[in-house]
Amino acid sequence: MRTRKLYGFGALTAAAALALAACGSSGSSSGNNSTPAATTHYDQALTGVVNPSTHKGGTLTFDESSVPDSTDYQNTYYAFMWDFVRLYSMQLMTYKSCPGTCGDTLVPDLATGPGVASDHGLVWTYHIQPDVHFENGDVVTSQDVKYGIERSYAKTVLPNGPNYYQVLLKDPTYAGPYKSKTPLTSITTPNATTIVFHLAAPFSDFDYVNAIPQSTPVEQKWDTGKYGGANFQLHPESTGPYEFQSYTLNKQIVLVPNPHWNPATDPQAKQLASKLVFNLNVNQSQIDNNLLSNYADIDAAGTGVQTAAVRDKILTAGSTEHADADNPINGFARFVYINEKVIPNLHCREAIEYAADKTTMQDAWGGPVVGGDIASTVIPPNIIGYQKFDLYDALSKPNGDDAAAKQQLSACGKASGFTTGLAYRTDRPQEVAAAQALQAALAQVGIKTTLDGYTSGKYYTDFAGDPSYVHTHDLGLDMGGWGADWPDGYGFLDELSNGNTIATNGGNTNISEINDPTINNLFKQAAGQPSDQDVSIWPQIDKDIMAQAAILPMVYQKVLLYRNPNVTNAYVDSYYGMYNYAVLGLK
Amino acid sequence: MAAPLEISAAESDTTPQAPEGLSGKRIEGRSLGQIAWLRLRRDWVAIGGGIFIIILLLVAIFGPLVVQNPDIYHPNLINPTFQGPNGAFGGISLAHPLGVEPQTGRDMLSRVVYGARISLLIGFLSTVLAVVIGVFFGLIAGYFGGWVDTVIARVMDVFLAFPLLVFAIALVGVIPTSSFGLSGNVLRVTMLIFIIGFFSWPYMGRIIRGQTLSLREREFVDAARSLGARGPYILLRELLPNLWGPILVYSTLLIPTNILFEAALSYLGVGIVPPTPSWGAMLSNAVQNGFYYIDPMYMVIPGLAIFLTVMAFNLFGDGLRDALDPKTR
Repeated sequence: MRTRKLYGFGALTAAAALALAACGSSGSSSGNNSTPAATTHYDQALTGVVNPSTHKGGTLTFDESSVPDSTDYQNTYYAFMWDFVRLYSMQLMTYKSCPGTCGDTLVPDLATGPGVASDHGLVWTYHIQPDVHFENGDVVTSQDVKYGIERSYAKTVLPNGPNYYQVLLKDPTYAGPYKSKTPLTSITTPNATTIVFHLAAPFSDFDYVNAIPQSTPVEQKWDTGKYGGANFQLHPESTGPYEFQSYTLNKQIVLVPNPHWNPATDPQAKQLASKLVFNLNVNQSQIDNNLLSNYADIDAAGTGVQTAAVRDKILTAGSTEHADADNPINGFARFVYINEKVIPNLHCREAIEYAADKTTMQDAWGGPVVGGDIASTVIPPNIIGYQKFDLYDALSKPNGDDAAAKQQLSACGKASGFTTGLAYRTDRPQEVAAAQALQAALAQVGIKTTLDGYTSGKYYTDFAGDPSYVHTHDLGLDMGGWGADWPDGYGFLDELSNGNTIATNGGNTNISEINDPTINNLFKQAAGQPSDQDVSIWPQIDKDIMAQAAILPMVYQKVLLYRNPNVTNAYVDSYYGMYNYAVLGLK
Repeated sequence: MAAPLEISAAESDTTPQAPEGLSGKRIEGRSLGQIAWLRLRRDWVAIGGGIFIIILLLVAIFGPLVVQNPDIYHPNLINPTFQGPNGAFGGISLAHPLGVEPQTGRDMLSRVVYGARISLLIGFLSTVLAVVIGVFFGLIAGYFGGWVDTVIARVMDVFLAFPLLVFAIALVGVIPTSSFGLSGNVLRVTMLIFIIGFFSWPYMGRIIRGQTLSLREREFVDAARSLGARGPYILLRELLPNLWGPILVYSTLLIPTNILFEAALSYLGVGIVPPTPSWGAMLSNAVQNGFYYIDPMYMVIPGLAIFLTVMAFNLFGDGLRDALDPKTR
């Protein structure tokens, strides 16, 4: 059902290419105002707005080392695109544009208020603003919102987006507007400003689903001819502050202000720059150097500075670059799943939790700056439902507690240790390093691990995500990571720990095979009540998972972002862990 | 190749009335081996290579008894932010004479020593395999000729034209973590030996085939044949002894090629399973994960180890060839 959020392909590997001197070919830059007005400091954009300004004009340049999966808001699953599409689209709901954890707050965007649930949570009704216009001047109606969602069902044409509507709504066999002759019946539009969703089962987080870009309105007449179907992404119909001027595939996107956009109806976005240029397929080391030398303003992927030379320059305390960098948690957690079927004894699993050396694993992920903070919980701190606790002394004894581990081993009846497999992905250097670090730490208490490396392509379908493979190959420990599709405990925990998510043949995300009645009941309880009332449930589930020692958290991943001093209104969006692209401007 | 004229002074019935030297020393006939050894001894470059190889072998065999455990982490020797070792030249200290690895703080000296084991083990055994297969088919092709020769020669052409690296990567990727009753590194090492050995035999096969082709026309083979000797006897007793020279030379030159090939496979991530140290894997880690920038020594040390080993084998092999067959000089 829910899939992992993608943080830009391949960007996790540090660029091996030599640090090229930026020879400035990637885009016209903004005015070269190199004199910083106010002093900035490291991590400033995590808690406050850097360079607040209402100044208009300039060309804001984004560089991207790869290409987006699609610029069609109904067809993208990349985190940076979910951030970027807000510049040319409005959804029913969105995240509030403000720094810090305030950015996790859900606010109405195209809708006038959050959804109203009725009929025991099976019917959700939204009213939309009556005076929002498309880029061609047409008024947005509820029918256009429905048509947009209908497009997301056309998986043969638009395969990339998530499948929440298909799973949650009553009409699972609907094949999208291009194939099906009859419209979707589970969404009704009683009038031009009302849209009603009919769910198959109660789902308290439905507002979050409507904050995914798939709820962007589309006029059916736009989705035909030159810009119809798969080619819609060449010029997606805009309801946001900017509209497409040109899109050269694999090369460049240019956006210009949308004259029909009204700031009063879209307070979460801004129209400051007079032009947006989005360069594609730019070499990562060139991007990093472009940022420092002012040829680009933003590294769109949000995976941070990768080039060692640039990174070292930024990390040197006291350098001018240091003050213009931020080091946020990006919402991605790195785990070792401890399979409860392969290692059924709780004490044996607890021994692993104690024996693991969290510092060497942190180093394997890149250290405290580009790797992440040592984790002691399943939920990372930027997700609603995070509560700090430290059951296995991961924070107080980060080098591991061998005495406690040995005690647990005796309680498990295996005082001299045991042997198990450790699965990891051979093409992920950090995972390879983390697996070795864990192996070395566990060996200190007698737990022997055999490293089993797999390629990432089939890791979740054929190996770690296939319970029968895990059982027959004795893979008690499996490396993995997780990022949620929306920033609350349900979005983060359900696929990891709900007993009904265990898939028996491949694609399993509950790799620890947690099937605990207490946890399952808590999920049921949460689904039946509004999402703002279930906040207390998530820490309970988190603690239950940790008490079972079913997951060994390694790090809350962090990225090193560089913010160009010319960019105004820069702050890190807490949920995405990257700058909020919807509000940026230039000095 | 010199003809097998191993007529020693004692065997000939007419002892030549050689004039006694001024020093009074008798002039003796020398065996081919003795002559080669004399020539080799004068070639100090080759001797240098040979000494290096012997030292390397001793280090690989006995080194692990001396150096520390290569898998022990020393996070306190690493700068957590930059991940490089504290101190100059990769954190050189008395406890860690070659410094420590970035990110983990594992001792470099012990990792290089353990890495030598893997490199030499795979280099030697895959060469042995290649030599056995190559000599066998080379002899048969060269001696029997005709369609046998045509078939074997074409097979060798196919092997030589094969995109070996691509094939090896695919094969290592396909073979599961445990098969043939083996698992982990035992399986990996066995597999690497077989892949490398199986693909380098045609080099040996071609040389042996060529030598056999010329040898089989020689008088001593005709003589053996006229005395009633059959194929197997001629192959093993008449031809093979005369091929030891090229076999020795090309084996010595094949070893470094195979060591490099193992390093290349490890570099591409399809070699040895971590954490077992391997020179190629270290080099790969240094380059692909950008550690060369924060700690150049991490790239220099395994690179130097590969370079010196390969050079030593090549110099020794060249010297050996010159000594055995001065004509090719």
